[in-house]
Amino acid sequence: MIRFAIKNLCRRPIRTALTAGGVAAAVCVLASLLAFGEGYRKSLDIELKRMGIQMMLVPPGCPYDAAARVLKGKALDVSLPESALAAVRLDSAVAQAAPLLMAAIPRPSEGRTDMWVGIDETLLPLKPWWKFAGKSGWFTNPSSVIMGNEAAVTEMRRAGDSLYSPETKREFHISGILERSGTSDDSMFFVPIQTAQEMFHQEGRITAVGIRLKDPSQAATAAVRFQQIPGAQVVTMGEMMGTFTTLVDSVRTLMVGIAGLALVVSGLTVFNTMLAMVMERTRELGVMRAAGAGRGHLLKLLFTESLLLTGFGSGLGLLIAVLFSSTAEHFARMAVPLAPDGRLMDLSPAIALQCAGAGILVGAVAGIYPACRAAALQPIAAMRESAQ
Amino acid sequence: MATTTEKPIIEAQNLSREYARGPEHVNALSNVSFHVMPGEMTAIVGPSGAGKSTLLHLIGCMDLPTSGSLHIDGVDTAGLKDRQLTRLRRDSVGFVFQQFGLIPTLNVLENVLMPTLFSGRQEAARALQLLEQVGLAHRAKHRPHELSGGEMQRTAIARALINSPRILLADEPTGNLDSASGAEVLQLFKSLNSKGLTVVLVTHNESAAATASRRMTIADGQLVADIRQ
Repeated sequence: MIRFAIKNLCRRPIRTALTAGGVAAAVCVLASLLAFGEGYRKSLDIELKRMGIQMMLVPPGCPYDAAARVLKGKALDVSLPESALAAVRLDSAVAQAAPLLMAAIPRPSEGRTDMWVGIDETLLPLKPWWKFAGKSGWFTNPSSVIMGNEAAVTEMRRAGDSLYSPETKREFHISGILERSGTSDDSMFFVPIQTAQEMFHQEGRITAVGIRLKDPSQAATAAVRFQQIPGAQVVTMGEMMGTFTTLVDSVRTLMVGIAGLALVVSGLTVFNTMLAMVMERTRELGVMRAAGAGRGHLLKLLFTESLLLTGFGSGLGLLIAVLFSSTAEHFARMAVPLAPDGRLMDLSPAIALQCAGAGILVGAVAGIYPACRAAALQPIAAMRESAQ
Repeated sequence: MATTTEKPIIEAQNLSREYARGPEHVNALSNVSFHVMPGEMTAIVGPSGAGKSTLLHLIGCMDLPTSGSLHIDGVDTAGLKDRQLTRLRRDSVGFVFQQFGLIPTLNVLENVLMPTLFSGRQEAARALQLLEQVGLAHRAKHRPHELSGGEMQRTAIARALINSPRILLADEPTGNLDSASGAEVLQLFKSLNSKGLTVVLVTHNESAAATASRRMTIADGQLVADIRQ
C-alpha cells in the first residue's frame, strides 16, 4: 500500500514537490524558531553561570541594558563613582567584588571596535575559566595588557610583544594571552584599572562592579542594601536571565505563531493537492472499487498518501533546518542584540519530533476530507468515467 | 458449458432501475428477469441508452436495483451493506472496461496484482501465470503507455481474473480496439469460458456478440429477446 501510495505521489512530481516544499518550509521555520529559543535560553544560562557573578552594580538607567552591555563587553555612557566599589566591599555578604571599567575604541579603518576593560586581580575568582596561554600571565606593570585569544590572533601578537594603541597613544607590553573561552572575553583587551581610568579620562570612575556573594540565597536582602548605594543600582543575574528569556520568549511566541500560520497554509496546500488528486483519479478509484477495494481501503490509501507527503515535507524541513542552522545562527546573532556566545540554535531530538509531529498532524487533518471523499465514491462512477 | 443440475450463478427477477435526471424520471431497466448458468457466455446487446450497461452494473454489484431481486453466486444482493457488496464483488466478479482502467504508474504485473492490495492475498505467482495465459509475460515490467490497446485490454483481463472470480463482466471490451486486437480479446474470452468461467459482455459489436453462446437483447430498459445460439 505504501509503495502504491508513493507511486501515486510521484505521478505529478512537480506538484508533489511544491506541496512538500511548502510543508518543509513551514516545518523548517518552526524548528529553527524553537531551536533558537531553546539554544538562546541554554546559552544564556550557561554564560551567566560561567560569569561567576551573581549580581552587578551598574550606573542608573536601565539596569538590564547596563548589565547586559557590561557582560557583553560593550561600553556604557554613564559610570559609577569608585566609592560604590568600596561600599560593596564593606558589605558582609560579599565574597568578591571586582571593578570593571569598559571603553570602546572604534577602529573604522579595520571595520571593528576594540573593547578595552580595566580590571584588577579581584576579577580572577569571578572568571574561573580564564587560562593563560603558554607562559604568559598577569600584569607585570601599569603598561601591561592581557589580550583575549581572538584579539591576539587579529593583532598577530604573542606574549612578550609590544602593542601600540594609536587612539590613546600608548605603548603596551603584552603580559598575557587568554586561551579561547568561547565568551566575549576572547576579543577584549584587559589593562590594569588605573591604566584604563587614565586612558579614558575616567579617574575615580568605574563602569560596574561584579559581585559574588558568600551565600547566593542572600541575594535578595543584599540587593536591597546595594540599592541604597548612591548613584548606583543593582541587578541580579537571575533577574537578567528572566528578563532576557521573557523578552526572547515573547518574540519567539509571535514568530512561532507566524510559523504556525505558515503550517496551516501548507496544510491548505496539502488539502488542495489531495483533493485534486482525488478528482483526477475518480475513474481510477472507481476501478479500484470495482476490483474489490472497500471504502476503508481507499480511505487508507489517500490518508497514507497525505501522511507520506507531509512526512516527507516535514523530514525535508528538519533536514534543511539542521543543514542551515549555522547560517540561521549567523543571521540570528546579527538580529538579536547582546546574544550569548554559546550555540544559539539547539535543534534537540525533542524539538525535531515536535515539529515533525506538527507537520504530519497538519497532513493528517488536511487529508481527512479528500480521503473521505475518495472513500465515499460510488463504484458506478468508474463505469460512467470509462464510458465517457 | 452449462449443466442443468447446477443452480444459476446470476438470477434476476423483475429487476428495475429508476433514477432521476434533473426533473426527468428515467426507467433505465423495467422488470427484467433472466438467469445465467455457470459457464455460460452471454452477450448483452441493444442500442445505446437501452439499459445494457445499467444491467451490467447491477450484476456486478456496482449499483443496486430500485426493485426486484438479484442473486449473484447464490447471494441475495437485496439489503446488502457496502462492505458485503464489496466482498461479493471482490470474490465473485471480475470487471473489464472499455477503456481498460489500468493505473499508469504501475507496470503490467503490478496492475494485475492491484486487486490483491485489497484482498490481502499474495498472488505474484498467479499474476505471472495469468500474464502467461494472456500472452503478456514478456511485458510484465512495462508500463501501460508502452502497450498496445490489445495488450492493455489483455492486462485488464488478467487483473479481472486475479481473485479467481466465477463471473467475468465486460463492458464493451473491444470498443477501443482495432479488429485484430478485438478478435484476440474475444478469443481470450472464449478460451476462458471454455475453462468454465461465466462471461457476460455488453457489446455493440456483432462479431463479439456472435462469440457468445447466448444473446440477450435489451431495448428501452426491457429484455426483448433472449436467444441461445
